Amino acid sequence: MNFLAASIESLGAKIVRVLTVGYGLLAFLTEALSALLDRNTWNRATFNVVVKQVYFTAVQILPVFLTYVLVISWLMITIILTTARDFGLGQFASEMTIRVLVLELLPFLTALYIALRSGSAINTEIALMRVNNELDALAHCKVPPMPFEFLPRLISGVISVVALASLACLIAVMLGYLAIYGLNTSGFEYYTRTISKILDFKIMAGLFFKCALFGLAVTLIPITAGLETPKKLFMVPVSVLRGMMKVFFAIMVIEVVSLALKYI
Amino acid sequence: MAAVAELDDAVARVALELPLRANLSALDNIALIPLYQRHYDATEAGRQAHALLALLGHAEIAPLRDPDMTPAQRFVTQLARALMLKRPRLVIDRPGAILYDVPYPHFIRQLASQGDLTGTWEIFDFSWNQTLYSE
Repeated sequence: MNFLAASIESLGAKIVRVLTVGYGLLAFLTEALSALLDRNTWNRATFNVVVKQVYFTAVQILPVFLTYVLVISWLMITIILTTARDFGLGQFASEMTIRVLVLELLPFLTALYIALRSGSAINTEIALMRVNNELDALAHCKVPPMPFEFLPRLISGVISVVALASLACLIAVMLGYLAIYGLNTSGFEYYTRTISKILDFKIMAGLFFKCALFGLAVTLIPITAGLETPKKLFMVPVSVLRGMMKVFFAIMVIEVVSLALKYI
Repeated sequence: MAAVAELDDAVARVALELPLRANLSALDNIALIPLYQRHYDATEAGRQAHALLALLGHAEIAPLRDPDMTPAQRFVTQLARALMLKRPRLVIDRPGAILYDVPYPHFIRQLASQGDLTGTWEIFDFSWNQTLYSE
């Protein structure tokens, strides 16, 4: 009986914790959206911070990211092509390449890449700001941190994931053509027709929305995790660990829901 | 010292517990106030911040970030930020904690005598440091 009561209590505590985290994320997102719509937020300084954040998140990593995309795409295309030919399904290779790489794998890997590189950095920075009382100092000065600290990071997360995933998909489509047809143009018409058949408006809108959600997850969750850090320096690594676990979980949920909506 | 932390909104504080934003320059730390509180444009906010640093005789620290500052430069930036708030009272809370490597009563007196700074500056310090102020 005691075991049952303890189990129910533990389950209840977990549910309350999940709901509290969910509520915190939602409340912060609402605050960010109202700041986004506030005319006073949009001055030259905020715009400059957004540009700087996009540079740090998306532009600075381009050489490494492009190499990573080229290697992954080339490997995946080769695997798909070889397997399809082995099973006598060579004519479906282009469709499989687009479905696997463009619609699923590359946006997912892009989100993971940004989460590991920028999400963890954001989580650490916000946690340190909190521990070092920098947020208290801003509150004392009645300067809201939202327009110049948080909102630019959220915007840059969304822009960066959407832009980098689009770039990765474009590279994969070109590599796919090269791998299947080589340098001649004979398969161009069939290949572009296959692409247009798969990537209709609904699928493209879904892909864009998924990438935007990924971008939001890799910035929103680290920011809120950083803000929840207790004011103790040794809690910063714990905050980053918890934040990154939540980001991974959120990316997985978005991917699974997107797959379920598409194929079930 | 808890009493100092509980002072109302009409007081601008300079304290170790109210640090600068570490990844912003001294100028940007001060300019945040006219920019996001009074909604001036970035150029005007920067000009006001620069003018205040110049008034305190430390315009050269404008591009420095917190980790690159000496304790005195950090104190000047925090003081300029507090002055920029334009509140009726300015409280310097335990200056020795920030200005640990300079004779701080003299340093603060020197800053207060710069330009046409108005208002009253109050210093809250430990009673055993009282002798330092009588020199």
